[in-house]
Amino acid sequence: MKHTGILFFPAFDWSLGNSHPEREERLLYTQEQLFEEGILDLPQVKQFTPRVASLADVAQAQALFPTPSLYPETLDPHLIAAGSAILLGEARIRGEISNGFVLVRPPGHHSGATVWGNRGFCTINNEAILINQLRARYGIKKIAIVDTDVHHGDGTQDIFYHDPNILFISLHQDGRTLYPGSGFIDEQGGPNAWGQTLNIPLPPGTGDEGYHYVLETWVLPRLQAFKPELIINSAGQDNHFTDPLASMNLTASGYGKITELLQPDLAVLEGGYSIEGALPFVNLAILLALAGEDYHYVREPQKIGRSSLPLATLKPYVETLKKQTQIVKPDFTIHNVKFFPAGEWVYIPHSVYYDTEGFQETRQDFVRKCNHCAGTVYIESQRTHAKTKSVLVRIPFEACPQCEQAGYDLWEYVQHHHQEIHSGLLQNQLHNQHQVWQRKKD
Amino acid sequence: MLSCLRINDFKAEITNFDGTLYFKKMAYDRKTRVLQEQNHICLEYHYKFYLMAKISKMDLGGIILSCHVGIDVGGTYTDAVYLEQGQIQRTAKVPTQEENLVETIVNALETLKLPDVSQVNQITVSTTLVTNAILQKRLPPVNLFLFPGNGMSLSALPWPVDYHVFSGEMDFRGREVSPSDPSEWQRLTWKERSESPELVAVVGKFSHRNNLHETQLADYLRKSYPKCQIALGHEWGQANFYRRSLTTYLNLGVTRRYQHFAQQLQTALSGLKIQAPIAILKADGGILPIGKLRPIESIYSGPAASVLAALAQNETSASTIVVDIGGTTTDLGLILSGTPLLSSRGAEIGPYSTLVHSLAVRSIPVGGDSVIEASGQGFEVKNYRLGPAYCLGGKALTPTDAMRYLGLIDYGNRQLAEEALASLCPPDRRDPQYYQQLAGDIIEAVVNRIAEAVDSLKREWQDEPAYKVWEVLHPHEAQTFNTLVSGGGAQGLTKALQKRLGTPVLLGVYPEVSNALGAAMARPTFDCTLHLDTYMKRYHVQETGEQGKWTGSQRPYREVEDFLDQLVQKQAEQYGIQIHDIEKEPFDFFPIVQNYQTVGQIIRGAAHLRPGVIGRVVK
Repeated sequence: MKHTGILFFPAFDWSLGNSHPEREERLLYTQEQLFEEGILDLPQVKQFTPRVASLADVAQAQALFPTPSLYPETLDPHLIAAGSAILLGEARIRGEISNGFVLVRPPGHHSGATVWGNRGFCTINNEAILINQLRARYGIKKIAIVDTDVHHGDGTQDIFYHDPNILFISLHQDGRTLYPGSGFIDEQGGPNAWGQTLNIPLPPGTGDEGYHYVLETWVLPRLQAFKPELIINSAGQDNHFTDPLASMNLTASGYGKITELLQPDLAVLEGGYSIEGALPFVNLAILLALAGEDYHYVREPQKIGRSSLPLATLKPYVETLKKQTQIVKPDFTIHNVKFFPAGEWVYIPHSVYYDTEGFQETRQDFVRKCNHCAGTVYIESQRTHAKTKSVLVRIPFEACPQCEQAGYDLWEYVQHHHQEIHSGLLQNQLHNQHQVWQRKKD
Repeated sequence: MLSCLRINDFKAEITNFDGTLYFKKMAYDRKTRVLQEQNHICLEYHYKFYLMAKISKMDLGGIILSCHVGIDVGGTYTDAVYLEQGQIQRTAKVPTQEENLVETIVNALETLKLPDVSQVNQITVSTTLVTNAILQKRLPPVNLFLFPGNGMSLSALPWPVDYHVFSGEMDFRGREVSPSDPSEWQRLTWKERSESPELVAVVGKFSHRNNLHETQLADYLRKSYPKCQIALGHEWGQANFYRRSLTTYLNLGVTRRYQHFAQQLQTALSGLKIQAPIAILKADGGILPIGKLRPIESIYSGPAASVLAALAQNETSASTIVVDIGGTTTDLGLILSGTPLLSSRGAEIGPYSTLVHSLAVRSIPVGGDSVIEASGQGFEVKNYRLGPAYCLGGKALTPTDAMRYLGLIDYGNRQLAEEALASLCPPDRRDPQYYQQLAGDIIEAVVNRIAEAVDSLKREWQDEPAYKVWEVLHPHEAQTFNTLVSGGGAQGLTKALQKRLGTPVLLGVYPEVSNALGAAMARPTFDCTLHLDTYMKRYHVQETGEQGKWTGSQRPYREVEDFLDQLVQKQAEQYGIQIHDIEKEPFDFFPIVQNYQTVGQIIRGAAHLRPGVIGRVVK
């Protein structure tokens, strides 16, 4: 029998604040619904118990700044969510389950390669940590992520932007109308991974029919062409018509269909804050679809009050978007800093806003152009008004000898000669190692 | 020793090594794992201090060990014990007459030859009455009427019984999504039979949050079919529509049989001039007065009894693997720091999944009389028995013959045991060297089967789901276990089990009547789980299915504690039990937010009297 794993961790004793959307109550009604339906009695459903991820697991995907031990926020619930994702991923790789649902809080897809705090309710990126652990421990090479949260999965995109072996597809409400304001078609990956990021911004009011159309005509062919070993679905539920923060028009059974179309190996809960109107039903539909059961009778009590964008209107929009996506050509700036090792370094500066506490991170990203591997990444990062910077040096999975050497040279240099930089992380994905460094006070 | 301390609130009589005696009122906080002396936390210092002392006797919060009778009605034999002040005075074993359990019990009591029936304070019975009625499909027809609403298709789960579906839907907060439709009910027709009333179980999805549709249909049925007997699903007030439906169905199906048994038993005991109250053992290892029990809760009391027997023989805070080796089955249970492990899911019986709380137990079809047959790999341990072991005059080779041959037991004929072993060896290997090896292999195979079941039980314990950060960060600690074996096949397997399980193995006292002993030592269990929704202004009690209006504040704090206390008192009175050692779970508070305003709270809280025993058996 094919088994569907479920790891349900509602973190009933944790919130981001009393009336914050990310609060104890968020999965309470989901629990009521799933338990009342007897979903755990389905013979093919297997429940797993949570596990805590280690900081070393996190370090293969993300740099907690200034250092993991000085990181100010409590990480416990986040590490449980990430650890639970890894646990279910391992069960999938070992063949104990044929697919699974990591139904946990807190979410993670807005959390990027460098982390100074919580943003978009996310602190660490559950899917990214999971994916890099599966690559490091099980030698999985090609993984696709399809982010069906209504918000652009900017954190996940950031972590895998330079990685040609990870296909990242995000469908979301147009960034001009919704947080985080990114996810446009010209964001298609770094110089060594161009085209491995696909953003599909959708107009507000897109409903089941339109969403499924985009999946069938664009996302699924792209997935088939990539031939991933695993498909991970970042299953945010805020496309639902009752969501208080977004303006899309999907139904619970529409989410069931998404799951059925994508056939993900793992679905990982992301956002979704219509905790009574949507979550109990969307979660049920996703789980039923994963378990191969009929989800068509899952109906939310509330009826859609607004009309969806007609397919006739959406189709030409999507066709134009597709064309524009193909037209965009990579346009990168080469900027070789004096101390950089040999090679061509592409410079991508940007800034990240942390909405939870309200501060800005300024980043200067560099990636070594490479025809043999994903290329070493060098990121200098500074929190607004802070005097010092932190650095992330990443030697990628399957790094070529030149890129590996370049990574070590940079790591050596910042410690001994770069006085502005006070802490950093060396992420050696090639050897599943990492080093944390902090400048000693003078 | 410190390790003797377990129970929540008790007075300990402690003997110092220098012989001085003193008393202390103690409390043990399960959550913090801190031993408390009255209200003062005593940490390391006291740990060391108490290690110097030995608890010799305990007064368990007012329960007095007195004259108790325990009876275990098993498949083949019925055992009875009589205890006075925790000491076993008499035991009895009589054959079970499956068609007349009352007579069997009376027979056991007469064989026990109680010195003075008026002295007996309580009789506890563990019976297979309900288990067998279900497994042997001896249930009368029950109509099952469902309000399933939308959601998962009913056909996704295996329904072992027929049902009839009506419209009407509730949601998870107990709000009516769509009303019931009485015109559908009018289409129901059945002729009322004169001899036995029609049985109807009515269950709605989310009826544990709002029983409106169930009661509406029940009112209609009572009016239209005055003789019908109705059971409502919300009385099993726990989530899980599927299990609630089957539990309601089964309980209604066995009620008449159980009531008949209860009545007859009470009459018969009056005839023996026994006035002591009768209690029935439940699957969770607790007891309830015979008239208060919901019959379905008495399933699987046998394995629960063997766990309790182990508890009564062990140090109070020990962690124990309980192994009860019978003729054809071996029952296993787990005791963690003195508390039997409860299964996190309801009991499964035959094709039915229920909401019945039960101890986490395993039953494997292997025992001292299991038939050993030749197979391609040498031999195979079969799931059945063909009478007694060969060395005891039976027909087939059994593990008992292997034990006899190796001298691990001293009963049975060794010559016959050798013959039985020889029958499995090819002619060129018929010599003692091979018999020795074969006998060893048989014992190893049996012990391996037991050890695998022990591992599965331990996995169930370690894989218990966790829904809170606190729970994940404070996992069950690795425990040092000992193993307590009882049952007919126990003695001969002690050594092999010790080696395979890697724990000390102790042989229980009176291993042949241990289930009766467990029954005699059982105490009531009690659970009261409150679900309060201050916004909907409704409260629900999981165990009784009670639903009521909340008139307190929107964000209660102390108020809800007092409220739970009142519910506990009321429920205990209803059950007719005294409650001590009540353990309260910390409340979970869920603020309900609408438009960034807190408009109420959902509060979950619970009080438990965990399964346990009234004292230790004095050896």
